[in-house]
Amino acid sequence: MSKENYINDVRPHDSAYKHVSGYAEYTDDINEPKNTIYGAIGLSKKAHAIIKKIDLSDVKKSEGVISIVTQSDIPGRNDVGPVFDGDPIFPDKKVEFFGQPLFAVAATTTELARKAVLKAKITYKDLNPVITIKDALKKKQFLFKPRKIKKGNPSKKIKNSKNNLKGNFTTGSQEHFYLEGQAAFVIPKEDDNFLVYSSTQHPSETQQLIAKMFDQKSNSINVEVRRIGGGFGGKETNFMTACICALLAKKTGQPVKLRLDRDDDIILTGKRHEFLSEYEVGFNDEGIIEGLKINLSSNCGMSPDLSAAINERALLHIDNAYYISDIEVTNNLCKTNIPTSTAFRGFGGNQGMMAIENVIDNISRYLKIDPIQVRKKNFYQKDKKNVTHYGMTIEDNVINEIFKNLENKSNYKKRYSDIKKFNEKNKFKKKGIAITPVKFGISFTTIHLNQAGALVHIYTDGSVYLNHGGIEMGQGTHTKIAQLVANSLGLPYNLVHISSTNTAKVPNTSASAASSTTDLNGAAALNAVAKIKLNLEKFIKKKYKIYNQEAIYKDQYIIFGNRQFEFKTIIQEAYLNRISLSSSGFYSTPKINFDKKKFRGRPFYYFCYGAAVSEVTIDTLTGENILERVDILHDAGKPINPALELGQIEGGFVQGQGWLTIEELNWKSNGQITTFSPSTYKIPAVSDIPKKFNVEIFKEGINKEKVVNKAKTTGEPPLMLAMSVFYAIKDAVASVGNYQFAPELNAPATPERILMSVNKIKNKIKN
Amino acid sequence: MISSSVKFLLNDKLIVINNPDPNQTILNYIRTELKKTGTKEGCSEGGCGACTIVLGELVDNKIIYKAINSCISFVPSLNGKQLLIVEDLVSKDGKLHPVQDAMVKFHGSQCGFCTPGFVMTLFSMFKNNKNLNNELITDSISGNLCRCTGYRPIIDAAKSLDKKNRNDQFSKNNNKVTQLLKKIKPKNIYIKKDDKIYFSPKNIKDLKNIIKKYSNFSFLAGGTDLSLKVTKERKEIPFIIDLKEIKELDFIKVNKNYLEVGASTPLIKFEKEIKKHYPDFYLVLKRYGSIQIRNVGTIGGNIATASPIGDTLPILLSLNAEILIESFNQRKVIPINNFFLDYRKTKLKKNEFIHSIKIPLFKKNIFKAFKISKRFDDDISSVCGSFNFEIDKNKIKEVFIAFGGMAAVPKRAKACEKILKNKPLNLSTFNQAKNYLDKDLSPIGDMRASKEYRLEIAKNLLMKCFVEIDTNKLTRVN
Repeated sequence: MSKENYINDVRPHDSAYKHVSGYAEYTDDINEPKNTIYGAIGLSKKAHAIIKKIDLSDVKKSEGVISIVTQSDIPGRNDVGPVFDGDPIFPDKKVEFFGQPLFAVAATTTELARKAVLKAKITYKDLNPVITIKDALKKKQFLFKPRKIKKGNPSKKIKNSKNNLKGNFTTGSQEHFYLEGQAAFVIPKEDDNFLVYSSTQHPSETQQLIAKMFDQKSNSINVEVRRIGGGFGGKETNFMTACICALLAKKTGQPVKLRLDRDDDIILTGKRHEFLSEYEVGFNDEGIIEGLKINLSSNCGMSPDLSAAINERALLHIDNAYYISDIEVTNNLCKTNIPTSTAFRGFGGNQGMMAIENVIDNISRYLKIDPIQVRKKNFYQKDKKNVTHYGMTIEDNVINEIFKNLENKSNYKKRYSDIKKFNEKNKFKKKGIAITPVKFGISFTTIHLNQAGALVHIYTDGSVYLNHGGIEMGQGTHTKIAQLVANSLGLPYNLVHISSTNTAKVPNTSASAASSTTDLNGAAALNAVAKIKLNLEKFIKKKYKIYNQEAIYKDQYIIFGNRQFEFKTIIQEAYLNRISLSSSGFYSTPKINFDKKKFRGRPFYYFCYGAAVSEVTIDTLTGENILERVDILHDAGKPINPALELGQIEGGFVQGQGWLTIEELNWKSNGQITTFSPSTYKIPAVSDIPKKFNVEIFKEGINKEKVVNKAKTTGEPPLMLAMSVFYAIKDAVASVGNYQFAPELNAPATPERILMSVNKIKNKIKN
Repeated sequence: MISSSVKFLLNDKLIVINNPDPNQTILNYIRTELKKTGTKEGCSEGGCGACTIVLGELVDNKIIYKAINSCISFVPSLNGKQLLIVEDLVSKDGKLHPVQDAMVKFHGSQCGFCTPGFVMTLFSMFKNNKNLNNELITDSISGNLCRCTGYRPIIDAAKSLDKKNRNDQFSKNNNKVTQLLKKIKPKNIYIKKDDKIYFSPKNIKDLKNIIKKYSNFSFLAGGTDLSLKVTKERKEIPFIIDLKEIKELDFIKVNKNYLEVGASTPLIKFEKEIKKHYPDFYLVLKRYGSIQIRNVGTIGGNIATASPIGDTLPILLSLNAEILIESFNQRKVIPINNFFLDYRKTKLKKNEFIHSIKIPLFKKNIFKAFKISKRFDDDISSVCGSFNFEIDKNKIKEVFIAFGGMAAVPKRAKACEKILKNKPLNLSTFNQAKNYLDKDLSPIGDMRASKEYRLEIAKNLLMKCFVEIDTNKLTRVN
């Protein structure tokens, strides 16, 4: 691709018009056939118990009820675990979390179905639930064997280092709170076929799991998704809703819609893994890490789900942007009686990165130097100090440039000293500032998932129909891929029609996840286009006797040197000459390999980089705080559509800010969740965002690898820019003790946690 | 004149629903009966704004556009109003409304699910206000959650509307709609559907007649609490008496000594008046709930619900407000300080209703109120503290302190007050007094805040008062 050919085209999201006018269709909005009935799921009221009896007689009698399904109605596999077993659709004997589905109902309306399920009489024999990481560690309840990654000799290095620190740190769980809850709509067809609409990031897995549940072949299940109302990882697995909906449809032979209400959605679906890190670090007087031993324990909930891969990504990101010569990382994947923890933007990477940033911050506070210095001193370099703890050589490092650029742009130095002056003068309000880096690896670490397919048709009127395996969940993947296709064919964007993701059109797709949806599916779509172009060019060359000329597709013309053919006309001509104008496309990411056992290889095709400076003011009497200003510089390579990338960067930042500040989940000791609605679980609202928000895309950015448009994804990486908010808060707390003590502060830094941390410092001053 | 049908305009089309289910939410009606799916269900509790619709209401012959949460409003409350949903904003030739257009231009939608709600809230802001400043914009969308964008593009879209011509298709249709609204001016409504009853009287006299006859009803005002019985608990409210349409209960009277506010006065109206007298009361109300909540929520409802975290309650306690209560044959005045008996229990008897609240205007006093919660917008208080000091020559002559979220009821801190009273205004007085809050208050720990944090905040808020009075400077971050 030549330089001038990079797309850099700001245009609205393909569905923007429909979003704002109410005509964008989501699963629950799909027009229903007359005999459609509506589902609801009956949930367990215990977190850990043996089911003694399920009495559904009152449910059956409840108004409007048409059918009930339980585990005995499942002809095939009673499990929705995507990789490992462990997620029964309806458990046979044992309940393993509060809110676990036990049965489901179909009724004439959603309201009646929801009323009916509450009438179940279930008797349990209580077992002791294990809820927290601490409990699980004590009882040694693990899902997998602990892992150990080692490079060099960290124990010796720590021992020989001039300075040592030990500590522990936690980051909290997080509810996805996609605005559209889990929803499915299943329509039975002839020959036991089913048409499934589902709000999922993973139609292929939905298809396969429903097939397995029915003991049918995948070719009898067709899953279609036009768009979903947010996913963030929360719809990457979580196949419960679609499977139960399909089961109801099969049993009744009627179309069934099943939409979880917000409470049920939060109660029964998995969330982000809470992490505990325990570390021991040795470092020199400049703050350069000489040896690090760190243990990561995570709360995986009741089943494996994706926990193995998530915890693996945490191990792979324990370095963030820092070169650590001698390191040992171990982990514990704790099994507990909460819903199975699952994918969430960042996918463990963010938890690993927060753990190392906490170490770095504490080193700085111990040495009493500005953390920015310690960060810079430890950064990966270009030609040396450029091999990760898993043996991958970093070839695209731009963190030093980004940091320097942002440091200047944000006027960091002056503000840092101004803040110190402010804090000397103010007793109750304190300010804090922090700059943090992001380096995030792109690719599924499970190598075979790095593949994608697409289907492109050109119709005889010259219009283009585009289909690919990616899910549109707000990130704009459809818009960007249509931009790629239009650009490649030299057509205006509006001639490319984007269509619903459908397992009958593109098979065996991977989840829209790991930030790689556009990278993978965009490349597959271009591959399809390339095949059609080849047919066309062959035809034109032969017919018009053109030799050794390269075709250029521009402004609705195909140009060979001084000969040009109008696209629409030549398409008709090609059709009349029996040339194929349709093709599938395929892509698999090159270069990557990863030996999971040895924990070595190149798991990532490339890295994304970024940095953020945050400034906060805290109220030391209440813990309330304001995010005064945020400056971001983020590498998006050559962005296809800068407006959409900006949206991802800002949105990811605010979501990360929520994770690290106000979003707090709470379970009672009996395993019952107490934060299951917007009244008890607070995601950022408009007043939480930075008062000043300067976001820039790194102009010098370019993807060194052959990614579509030389772009870099902005899916997950920006979430970690919010780490700066947390460390700015910590900096403000530190000012209470005149920067003499490292604050004890875990994430999320809620007002309560901030106040308690302030108080601890105050007590230290007293003593 | 009694009617059993609900009449309203769907944009400019008259719709009559005969005998609707009084427990059906407007959201459910729009999605399942009007078959319009632009309005989304996000939470069923008025906490996310995805279901926001706009009701056009005639006030002094002018149409006021109120954004409300359709997920917690029942169908009969459409009566006499103009219902506008997101689809109505697109003109007949498919042209987007300026608000919609701005959201497209500024990339205000990503997944798009929250977008119709934002569009409707912004639409009501756009129509009701000439100048759109940052404060207004933030307040307007504080009840709409977006999980994708981080709000910046939505704020920019809103800002761009400031200079836009307000002359849209609704202005052009204004006369027609005004005439139609006048025609369907609400009558008393009485609905009996299956075993559910709904009664919406237009005046106090009719209200009294009904409460004389029955006793097993629930009063509905804003419904922001009551409706959750249907949408969350999945229960029915068999007998509703709706107080919203009684104009005699929707008023604000101010004289030299007090402000009297009718029980059904929406908070949005009340906050504008109270701002002049007690700015901190206003600031707490802004954090009380979103525009959608404050558009329907009433001060009478907040008092009658008697939740320990009802944000107006500690404030009214510290201001020694009085509650005027009526039954079909009686009127009485109860000081709010004697009103709350136990968790959600008050002196209000079954056949009594709150007529109004009298709030004394302490002209010389220093009044401060604070709401502390995890999030600034639309959150429930960890602690709400209210302080009313009369200070004379650096001495505390009189003091009233009350807290919400610190006991089973909103509560005065009398032991603490006793220590402060008649003492010099200095740090040692306050340091001494704050420890008495341990005696006054008995908070619980829950998902919002721990017991310890709550108590500490209560003490710190008292100290904040001292610092702010002493230095004459505010110490708040927001």
